[in-house]
Amino acid sequence: MVEYYLQIRFAHVLLVCCSGALFATRGLLAIAGISWANMSALRWLSYTIDTCLLTAALMLVTILHQYPFVQPWLTTKVLLLAVYIVLGAYALRRARTRPARIAAYVAALLVFLFIASVAWQHDSRGILALLVTSAPG
Amino acid sequence: MDTTRRLWTGLGLLLAVAFAVLLAMGRELYLKAPPMPERVVSSSGQVLYTRADIELGRRVWQSIGGQQLGSIWGHGALIAPDWSADWLHREAVALLEIWSQRDFGTDYAHLSPAQQANLEAQLRSELRRNQYRGADGTIEVSADRAQAMSVVAAHYEDLFSADPALKALRVTYAMRDGTVDTAEHRHAMTGFFFWTAWSAVTERPGGAQSYTSNWPYDPLVGNTPTASTFIWTVFSVLFMIAGIGLLAWHYAAYHRKELPVTPPASDPLIGLKLTPSMQATAKYFWIVLALFLTQILLGAITAHYQVERDFYGFAISQFLPYSLTRTWHTELAVLWIATAWLGTGLYIAPAISGHEPKFQRLGVNFLFVCLLVIVVGAFAGQWAAVMQKLGLKYNFWFGHQGWEYTDLGRFWQLFLFVGLLIWLTLVGRALWPALRRKDDMASIVGLMFLSTIAIGLLYGAGLMWGENSHLSVVEYWRWWVVHLWVEGFFEVFAVAVISFIFVKLGLVRASSATANVLFATVVFMAGGVLGTFHHLYWAGTPTSVLALGASFSALEVVPLALIGLEAHETWSHSRATPWMERYRWPVMFFLAVSFWNLVGAGLFGFLINTPMALYYMQGLNLTPLHGHTALFGVYGMLGIGLMLFCLRGLRPALVWNQDLLRSSFWALNIGLSLMALLALLPMGVLQLQAALEHGYWYARSADFMGRDIMHLLVWMRVPGDTIFAIGALVLSWFVLRLWVRRAE
Repeated sequence: MVEYYLQIRFAHVLLVCCSGALFATRGLLAIAGISWANMSALRWLSYTIDTCLLTAALMLVTILHQYPFVQPWLTTKVLLLAVYIVLGAYALRRARTRPARIAAYVAALLVFLFIASVAWQHDSRGILALLVTSAPG
Repeated sequence: MDTTRRLWTGLGLLLAVAFAVLLAMGRELYLKAPPMPERVVSSSGQVLYTRADIELGRRVWQSIGGQQLGSIWGHGALIAPDWSADWLHREAVALLEIWSQRDFGTDYAHLSPAQQANLEAQLRSELRRNQYRGADGTIEVSADRAQAMSVVAAHYEDLFSADPALKALRVTYAMRDGTVDTAEHRHAMTGFFFWTAWSAVTERPGGAQSYTSNWPYDPLVGNTPTASTFIWTVFSVLFMIAGIGLLAWHYAAYHRKELPVTPPASDPLIGLKLTPSMQATAKYFWIVLALFLTQILLGAITAHYQVERDFYGFAISQFLPYSLTRTWHTELAVLWIATAWLGTGLYIAPAISGHEPKFQRLGVNFLFVCLLVIVVGAFAGQWAAVMQKLGLKYNFWFGHQGWEYTDLGRFWQLFLFVGLLIWLTLVGRALWPALRRKDDMASIVGLMFLSTIAIGLLYGAGLMWGENSHLSVVEYWRWWVVHLWVEGFFEVFAVAVISFIFVKLGLVRASSATANVLFATVVFMAGGVLGTFHHLYWAGTPTSVLALGASFSALEVVPLALIGLEAHETWSHSRATPWMERYRWPVMFFLAVSFWNLVGAGLFGFLINTPMALYYMQGLNLTPLHGHTALFGVYGMLGIGLMLFCLRGLRPALVWNQDLLRSSFWALNIGLSLMALLALLPMGVLQLQAALEHGYWYARSADFMGRDIMHLLVWMRVPGDTIFAIGALVLSWFVLRLWVRRAE
């Protein structure tokens, strides 16, 4: 499987982008009060992308022998993923007021971007690691 | 004689004749099974194996999981080789090398095509000639062959030890280090593997085919399909087409559309009085879901062992090896489905008769405790066996028997049999007033009870073999249990219970339902009983078994081809009246039963059914393709549908969360479809191509199964399996909410 590593990693990154873009779009629709946000076609598209994303992630984990709860940065990713899912659910469906929906949406996007930065840096501190290492002295 | 009586008479005659033939062929099988030698000697007189070695070796093989790690004569697990085919090919290659070095002083691969052809002809003559002497029970092999056997035996002895040189191969085969604990046991096991390979290539006395009808396919040793294999394939297809034609004509001629029944104004079951024993069945359904979720988790681990020895960083293979997770995965499949049915039987019996016998609730609770003890006790014994902590002395009784689907130790088998008899007694005593009533419901109730009796008693066939019974004999009785359950009386139970529910709901007339169910039973049993033999084509059986198995198992497909009629009827019932909305999801699961009966049992079952097809496909991924889609697709969906029907009655006043059930239903169906279409089907087809081009051994080999494309296809299980698991979790959450909400 290691021969397919680059392709699988590419698929993983592409699916992350698709998943994030779809959530961002659905969230905006939900905030605007447009019912399309939760139409079944979009929900099924989301399930499909996320299932494929999970498959690619598990393949990478196995190829690299780097596992959550062994490697700290992967543990961080998994834990923050749970936070992202909960915030996402509030942003799209569960929030009862518009301000709460907006707050959940913004928080979910921030968590999403931070997860991406953790993956990019292979460091639990994510983007913050760059700030620390580039700080003078 | 009225229609019902005629059908009962026909069914009685059919079952009497079919079981008589099944038993008569069993006698043939006893007489014509491959001989078990007293000793295997080389021409120089050296004793290579004794009968005691071979029998000990089989017990060792059983203790490590038997058919749950690799397979023998094609029966067993998909990971690790078929040991018979693998031994046979390795022995052939080793013998060619020995001759090549001796005669030409070079490797076999460096010989000219003519030299290779010459040696291969010599090889076929050497291996296929029957060297068994009946007078003293001796198999005598040449000195060269004895040398080749020792080469292969050494390979296996290293493989089943903790030898670091073969660690990579053990990872591919999902074996733990030190699979067999002692050198003596490892050597004895090679004797058993040799004997199965010897039976697979040695020609029967006076015949031109091996004891296993030339299975496995391996042109190098002259194992190619026999003429009978081809002939009975062709005839079986003809029988099937004729059967479908006949049944279609019968439907057209005799099953005219009846005047529609006017449904009751309200749900007739809404006022159903819940007796204490009916209420006590709730815990059966909770345990069904717990077992179902555990089965899914074990399935995920089992599948994952195809690509990695550990489970995402958790080093579990040394204490939870593949053969164990697969054992529990397959056993739990039967156990949770059976528990759903047991619970349904116990719930529905007092509901039918309106009679709560004395101490019925105590009996329901007692049986539940027995089932828990059996599951925990049997699984603990199997763990101790596979980890080689139990010892062979107690393995047969309390450990792992190694026979797929009937793996429980004999003590636990007996206990389960007693449990099934208790269940029969509990259902029977509650049903008794209804059975005695002789009203228009009597026949359908009787048929349902008959199927439950058959399900209970047929498990007794699993007690017919002993610790050292002949392998062919064990296979014969094992399939009595497995086949006659899933392809016989389970089908009858399914048809009867679904029809009965519609009758009780007032959507179908009892008289027409009775005739339809009886007719369906006759049709199912016409192929079902003797179709048992389609599992035994290559199990050391004579050609007559192949002929009967091919012909009658093809008839099993006949009712499935027309199952769309039944599905349409079920769908119509769901729309008959507004209050049927209460039963929407049980009915949807019943519809799924029809769909998967056509696809999983009919299409994917027939894909591997004919002798010619199974000759190449047995034990490839096309087998679990049928297994998953038929066992879960048909009986799992039925179990869930029945559970929901019972829950409707157990929690009559609650408004169900339709969204949860809708999500669960579609996730389970879509997940199962993806599992089949993205992974099992393409893997099976690639393996089939490999088997056709190189021989069966190659399609199961580490070389082939370790290819990137095969690993990629294993990963393609993740989307389907994930969606499926979400469906099961959502269903569990739904059931949990039925009780948790009440507490609120």
